[in-house]
Amino acid sequence: MKRFKIKLLPALALVMLVVLGTLNGCKKNLLTETPLSSLSVSQVLSTRAGFTTFMTALHVAARNELISTDTYDRAFDMQTGTDVATTGDPTITPYVNYTTYLTPVNNTVKFYWDWAYLQMIARANNIIVYANKADPSIWASAADKNAVIAEAKFFRAYTYNVLTNLYGDVPIVDTIYDTPKVDFTRNTRQQVLTFAKNDLIFASKYLPTTVAKTDEGHIVKGAADHLLAEVYISLGDYDNAIASANNVINSGLYHLMTTRFGSDAANPGDPYSDLFKDGNQNRSSGNFETLYVLQIEDVTPGGQGDGVGANATAGTANNWIRAWGPRYFAITDPKGVTGMIVCDSLGRGVGWVRPCNYVEYDIWRSDYNTDIRNSKYNMRRQFIYNNPASTYYGQLIGPRTADIDTMQYLYAYPRKIEGKVGKVTNNTAGKTFKDMVVYRLAETYLLRAEAYLRKNDLVNAAADINIVRSRAHASPVDPSNVTIDYLLDERARELLVEEPRRRTLSRMGKLVERVRKYNIRATTRSSIQDYHALFPIPQSAIDANFGAKLGQNPGYPQ
Amino acid sequence: MKKSNHFLRGSAMPLKKILLVMKLFTFLLIIALHVSANSYSQKIISLDVKSATLKQVFKAIEKKSNYRFFYSDNIVPTDKKIAINIDAGTIKEVMDKALKEFPLTWKLIDDRSIVISEVTTNSFDDRVITGSVKDEKGAPLPGVVVKEKGTNNAVATDVNGTFKIKLINTAGTLTFSFVGYESQDVVLGDKNDLPVISLQPSAKALNEVIVVGYGTQSKRVVTGSIASVDLKAQETLPNTNVSQALRGRVAGVQFLDNGRPGQGGSILVRGKRSINASNDPLIILDGVFFNGSLADINPDDVESMDILKDASAAAIYGSRAANGVLLITTKTGKSEKPTINFNTYYAGNEWSKKIQMLTPQRYIQKILDYRAQTGLTSDPTQITTYLQPSEAKNYLAGNSVDPWNYVSQRSYTNSYDVNISAKNKNTSYFLSGAMVTEKGLIFNDNSKRTSVKANVETKLADWFTVGVSSQFSNRNTSGLEASLGNAYLTSPFATLHYPDGSLTQYSVTEDQLVTNPLYTATQTTNEEISQNLFANFYAIINLPIKGLSYRLNYSPNYRWYHNYNAYKQDPHLTNNVTTASKANTQNFDWTLENIVTYKKDIGRDHSFDITLLYGRNYSKVDSTQVNGATFPSDQYGWNNLKLASTLTATSSAAEINGVSSMARINYRFKNRYFVTLTGRRDGSSVFAANNKYAFFPSAALSWVASDESFMSSVNWLNFLKLRLSYGSVGNQAIAAYTTLGLTGTTQYVFGDGGSTSPGIFPGALMPNPNLKWETTYNANLAVDFQLLKGRIGGTLEYYALDTKNLILRRNLPDMDLYQTILLNLGETQNKGVEITFNTVNIQSKDFQWSSNLNFSYDRNKIVHIYNSDANGDGIEDNDITNKWFIGSPISVAYDYKPNGLYQASDVLPAGYKPGWVRVTDLTGDGAITSADRTVLGNLDPKYRWGINNNFTYKNFTLSAFVSAAQGWIGAYPRLYASGSANYIGRPANLQDVGWWTAADPTNTHPALSFTNPLGIVPYASRNFVRLQDVSFSYSLPKPVLQKIKMQNLRFYVSGRNLYTWTKWPGPDPESGDAYFPTPRTISVGLSASY
Repeated sequence: MKRFKIKLLPALALVMLVVLGTLNGCKKNLLTETPLSSLSVSQVLSTRAGFTTFMTALHVAARNELISTDTYDRAFDMQTGTDVATTGDPTITPYVNYTTYLTPVNNTVKFYWDWAYLQMIARANNIIVYANKADPSIWASAADKNAVIAEAKFFRAYTYNVLTNLYGDVPIVDTIYDTPKVDFTRNTRQQVLTFAKNDLIFASKYLPTTVAKTDEGHIVKGAADHLLAEVYISLGDYDNAIASANNVINSGLYHLMTTRFGSDAANPGDPYSDLFKDGNQNRSSGNFETLYVLQIEDVTPGGQGDGVGANATAGTANNWIRAWGPRYFAITDPKGVTGMIVCDSLGRGVGWVRPCNYVEYDIWRSDYNTDIRNSKYNMRRQFIYNNPASTYYGQLIGPRTADIDTMQYLYAYPRKIEGKVGKVTNNTAGKTFKDMVVYRLAETYLLRAEAYLRKNDLVNAAADINIVRSRAHASPVDPSNVTIDYLLDERARELLVEEPRRRTLSRMGKLVERVRKYNIRATTRSSIQDYHALFPIPQSAIDANFGAKLGQNPGYPQ
Repeated sequence: MKKSNHFLRGSAMPLKKILLVMKLFTFLLIIALHVSANSYSQKIISLDVKSATLKQVFKAIEKKSNYRFFYSDNIVPTDKKIAINIDAGTIKEVMDKALKEFPLTWKLIDDRSIVISEVTTNSFDDRVITGSVKDEKGAPLPGVVVKEKGTNNAVATDVNGTFKIKLINTAGTLTFSFVGYESQDVVLGDKNDLPVISLQPSAKALNEVIVVGYGTQSKRVVTGSIASVDLKAQETLPNTNVSQALRGRVAGVQFLDNGRPGQGGSILVRGKRSINASNDPLIILDGVFFNGSLADINPDDVESMDILKDASAAAIYGSRAANGVLLITTKTGKSEKPTINFNTYYAGNEWSKKIQMLTPQRYIQKILDYRAQTGLTSDPTQITTYLQPSEAKNYLAGNSVDPWNYVSQRSYTNSYDVNISAKNKNTSYFLSGAMVTEKGLIFNDNSKRTSVKANVETKLADWFTVGVSSQFSNRNTSGLEASLGNAYLTSPFATLHYPDGSLTQYSVTEDQLVTNPLYTATQTTNEEISQNLFANFYAIINLPIKGLSYRLNYSPNYRWYHNYNAYKQDPHLTNNVTTASKANTQNFDWTLENIVTYKKDIGRDHSFDITLLYGRNYSKVDSTQVNGATFPSDQYGWNNLKLASTLTATSSAAEINGVSSMARINYRFKNRYFVTLTGRRDGSSVFAANNKYAFFPSAALSWVASDESFMSSVNWLNFLKLRLSYGSVGNQAIAAYTTLGLTGTTQYVFGDGGSTSPGIFPGALMPNPNLKWETTYNANLAVDFQLLKGRIGGTLEYYALDTKNLILRRNLPDMDLYQTILLNLGETQNKGVEITFNTVNIQSKDFQWSSNLNFSYDRNKIVHIYNSDANGDGIEDNDITNKWFIGSPISVAYDYKPNGLYQASDVLPAGYKPGWVRVTDLTGDGAITSADRTVLGNLDPKYRWGINNNFTYKNFTLSAFVSAAQGWIGAYPRLYASGSANYIGRPANLQDVGWWTAADPTNTHPALSFTNPLGIVPYASRNFVRLQDVSFSYSLPKPVLQKIKMQNLRFYVSGRNLYTWTKWPGPDPESGDAYFPTPRTISVGLSASY
């Protein structure tokens, strides 16, 4: 036993030494945290490359407005319940009954608020604040730094313009906070627009005029000037609006496309239909009309909306066809047999956004056969039974008297929503991988026309509108006929689907009036109240901001 | 006098026979019954023996009959031979003849066993022993079991404490036993009248050793609040996870799980108090921090489970103890003789509740009513045009789908466990292997765990002990389960198969809303495995100073988890849908602890023990995930991701460091007065720079009042102890780096055909450089008692918890540009009462009935939130966004208060229709505004109770356990047919909760046209009373076990979740799970030990 003990003692000593050694190893900074896989904002925004990554994320946020989800109550809400569209699906409720749908707990109302502050303004403000704080030596030049700030300011202005057009008065947040703040108050629409104007003046000054092919999607000066024109109109500063639009129109960089170009030029069509073919949106494709294009790419990580699930390619993409396309595969032939089956050229629409007769028929009446925007390449008005199982296979589908619940099955629609089937998705996916145009020159002309109109310069207003119309082979409008309503008609003809119609109407104060006039659902026309001109402030925002009264827009439950 | 050997043994033949039978475990009981049944019919014996020894005669009789002989070798002579010839005689005739020439007598027991003994002065029939039994104070003890040792022969004392027992054997020993008292053996002499037997209160019951953290203590001296779980009582229940043993059975402890295979469930000790930090208790396995899942622990390896509830008990675990501490101690070797235990059970599961979905007829009615209520044509003859074409086809063909039947699989649990243990002078060991296979109620919801364990300790010298307790488990939860969410939505007229039998992708193809519930589960090959290797290596050194010892713990823990998925090509699709992914996560944790203990007695009255600790802990996690999409073939699965057209990879890592020191002093005076003082200082890297460390002190007093001399006259009170404790514990249960404000990542592609650009953006969590420890101040007052000679025992506890610097995840206004922040703010209070009663209701010779009752009441409320009055109304601000209200419980339902439905005759608000929900105008201002929302109820139970009744008759035991939780409500969106959980106008099914129609204008269930403009969530009561466990077991009697050389052999049948009384409309009120039904389980099992 004794010998055993002696042998063990050195072992014991060793154990104790190891222990003590480990303990002495405790340095004072043992508990200091050094993140291993995710950096803090201040760490990322201390290098030039860090700003590049933040700017990329800001572009993702901007794209998320349109394609982060394809749930009907968020993605399509700038169209349904306006003068141009209702929902075709009788089982879904968006804007069918304005009073019971558009409430402070509505998901769409919350979606835009969350998107604006938590994504757009959060990312933009961090870039702007840190660009001014960062070590100046990280920048290649002062211009380099200003260009970064300018792009962030463009997005911030874009967002405030969206916010104020939807909600009216909203809090301006121009910085970042490091402690919770719950006493925000709303700035007036005038203040918000002025704030956006100032951001855009800076952006216009420092943004590049064009970018390389590999950078397409980044914001150029023309986009800032275009938006600035709109903001000036909202501010009532028409001269500056015209000047700003002139900066785009007279830049020598852009013109309306009047000749065939791009991926589909060899096929029957016209310059207007070429604008909406796959791959024809970026400037490098030969399209000199676009100012700002959201980038979508098939089967490339990051090419679509923020990924869903394990599959990075499974995010949402261009969902126009799903939203606007009719649910044609539900149509039966006169014998009651399924008349149409899903095919590549039509994709899989669900008829959630169903055009009103106003844009199906009314706006085309004057130049029905000449306006190329109403040509068979740009409006699909004829369908053929394509189900081989139907005895009517190959025949034209004749007119029907539609019940309200089959309004989604078949209707004329603008073919700009169509696109190619994806590389790994099939025609039932309801989406395409076409880039989405945010601003193009045609709208710049119409903005300048609006500014002239509001200045009562009808001649120049008509001249601008006629530039757009002449490209479309539509007859020129007489200055005496130019009104805001005419301008809205022209916008519908030229920009249907592309423009966020609700915001355009809201900006002009025309939403309620025109919904009562043109929406095809009686319930919608009767339920919309004057106060629906603006969204309600989300109840979540009011509840969270308990330190000060954010206040609800008048008319809504307080 | 020749001492006769009273150790009886059977003759060789039947033993062999039984051993053979033993190998056929499962059939043993049946066969044994069969044998005995035969023996009763064999009454007549013929025997013709010319010349044989007595033993040979006995064997011959055994061969011809089912009588069995028991005798002592040295009383049966082997030299003398006899002759017997009997033609069809009774056993009496045979035996009398056989023993005629010997000084032996015989006795028939149980019609079957023949006991041979020497003839003594007293014949068997005459030996009757009488006596009386008293307690330690001299009062008669009724109900004491008096048993002839080594037999089943027993009687109980009467009201006067007297007894009378007729012996089977001539001499021997009587055993006196009574609950709460030490058993006593009395060797019988010649006299038949015994002197008064005096039983002493069982020191064992009170000296029962329990684990207290960094050591053990006898129950008597414990000062804190520690609940031990009676695992013995649950050996016959099909627990696949140790935490299930807590379900409803321990006062103040709530365990919730949904009964799915491989699920760990969640444990809540003394209610919820931390608003946002984790509420999970700390798990200590064999003395060290255990960070894995409780599902990794084999329940059969667990010796004891103790829960530290108050600050005094938990404070030694300081920073991590605020939510209570669960101490799990695994088995060790106990007896010199190696013991082999084998335990197996098979449990069959079925749905304890099936949600009633719309039947085909009701589904049609839903469509018609919905159309009528929303202004569409609603003509029953046109129904086929309202259905989707594929639905119409099934409708016309009379086909319909039962979704529950469709997603179900044969569900069972099968468990095998073997362990070997022993302990000799220097070494003890416990080795085990176990396998449990679970097949859940839902297709592919499976789990399989295999685990091995080794606990070895050896004493190298008197002063030096080393040991290891280790375990490895492999949990395989592979297979993607069927989508229950889609099953709830599957139209009764769905088309779930193509004509070729393969699965459709969508249950109603035209709509694409509802994926076939089995589609993804079948399309996906999934491998999901968690492995956990946990070990604690320790050395104990008794230092030269008496009572001083040092212990070193080093506990590494590796955990590996992988989740691989491959989605194969669907031949019915033209596009390539193949994807595959591999996700690997590895955790490595270690704890290193140095513990010094010193024990010292001073004189007779004073004793101390001191524990000092210094330790460090570390944990690291890193993970990698690679996703591939679009493969040239689906044959590679996830094994060659490079073949994917699109590959994406993500990875992450995090580490946490901690440092701890702790001191505890226990002082005892006269073994009646106890004091415990504890202090622990913890440092953790997860906190912000200036708040890394915190100190948690506590103190406790206890007093065994019943030992005072003035109490000795109180006869009915056997034991009374008062305990009082106060102290603080902390909560650091937040993730690494959360104070820093981290960034998220995303991607974008600039330019057509461009490459991916990485994007980084600010995270949703606002950084907080001042985040610090949350501290709970905990006061506990308790009484432990035993009354009426131990027939009633129990504990009453009252506690008050005051949690300050609450770590909470606060939702922020969007305008802050962050969604949430982790903050230390506010204060919550928990007050509660816990009652535990154990009673012995009937105690007689063969029958015992005992009961356990546990009851707990917990009321928590928010005292302060931000201490702010931003709106200047003189009252501290509530936080509506987070549903936190001063004075209300932490988890409440806050919404408009529904007040029936609008009927056709009512004045309707703009846009409303009859059958829509009306809410109460609480402010009475004539308008429904956001101010009309109110606290509707508590989302946590107010009361919980459980009663276990245990009946033992001879070797049969029946136990029945009822548990209940009351005083809570839960959200159940499906209560509104047109609510968010349902797709009212689309081809989807829904739970048949009923709805308003003009013809049947109910006032409770809204019309199908209801669009819920106010976004109200419907709530329902979650109160329930449940017959949770019933088990019936039979253990083979001792004599039989001795014959077959086994220590124990038990068969059991048990039922779980047999019946639930509740008004909750969902699958299960207890788990509250929105989808999964809790299984009802019937199990049969066997446990054997040698």
